[in-house]
Amino acid sequence: MADDIRTISDALARDPASLLYADLSELLRRRGDVEQALRVAEQGLARHPEHADGLACLGRIRADRGELDRAREAWTRALAVAPGHVGALKGMGFTLFRAGDARGAVELLALVVQAAPSDEGARRALAMVRREAAAAPAAPAARAGAAGERPPVFLGLEGAAADILLCDDRGRVIAGGLTGADASDVSELAAAALAGVSGEAQRTAQYLGLGAWGTIVAETDRANLVLAPVTAGALLLVRRDRSVPIGLAVRVAERALGAASAWLERQGA
Amino acid sequence: MNDALMHALDRISRVRGVRGSMFVAVDDGLVVAQLLMEGVNGKAVAALAASLARKVGGASGAIGAGRVQFAQLAAEGGTLLVAPAAHDLLVVALADPNVNVGLCRLEMVRAAETSVR
Repeated sequence: MADDIRTISDALARDPASLLYADLSELLRRRGDVEQALRVAEQGLARHPEHADGLACLGRIRADRGELDRAREAWTRALAVAPGHVGALKGMGFTLFRAGDARGAVELLALVVQAAPSDEGARRALAMVRREAAAAPAAPAARAGAAGERPPVFLGLEGAAADILLCDDRGRVIAGGLTGADASDVSELAAAALAGVSGEAQRTAQYLGLGAWGTIVAETDRANLVLAPVTAGALLLVRRDRSVPIGLAVRVAERALGAASAWLERQGA
Repeated sequence: MNDALMHALDRISRVRGVRGSMFVAVDDGLVVAQLLMEGVNGKAVAALAASLARKVGGASGAIGAGRVQFAQLAAEGGTLLVAPAAHDLLVVALADPNVNVGLCRLEMVRAAETSVR
């Protein structure tokens, strides 16, 4: 490992703009030199703020330092840049597991194993958290309670706490909720995954001279999704079954958008 | 194959309000075939559409909704429509805001099927 660190350090010294900083940082972290790893990662990310591998590494370093909130922030940024990033998904799964949400961790680690079937570490972690999830039957209720505790912004709309989510552009849940196939709350995962979509839509619309963007409608294998910007930095997701006509889903989204806008205005946001 | 692709694009472009249509490689956002009205920057449309498709597709997968079969970005001054096709291609259309999305979608899905052949 020492040789690897020296080799990569030399290469980085020759080309300070190289993305090798992430490899060096990771090796330093594994060696236990967390402070040096943090310095290298931060210097690299100052040059490459949207480098998903670097952000994922920063998340692991923050986690090693016990700074779970900051770790999650780094992984959220990584997922905003690269929604399927295996390292960031693993990290988010880890934080959910540490927070006692074994079922949420199962969902994330299942995605990791799907994306990287040869990742033995992820397979073992998935098996372990699955055992934990099976041994914690009360968890779904607790998660549902978490969604229920959020502001009742979409009261009166079908799926107010299960199919309508209001989140910000940094991957944080604001209101509403989204449930997975097993009825567990996947709001935080969804918010993280959606973090970069709003910016991408804005960039696309502006560059093509289309003005402000209004909605993204996506027909997927299992759902019809409607995304819409609410105010600066807030994004609305409405999910409807594939059997619901897309036009109707858009109408529901318009109502949800009105409710979200009014509520945010009352909050002074 | 190129004639078939161009024929499919021609059908999309005949939908009233469509400014241009193209086949784009999803991985790198490069144009494979295009039929554009004058003034439309095909390279920019292709690159941005592919990037947006990857982002929306990633988010859809992450929340368990599966693969995106059709996506529409609606904006004040126009709309961008994207449908996946075979061989890691996307069918992309840029249109006026009041375009008949349903009709355009039908032609795009048909074009996507053309790319299989």
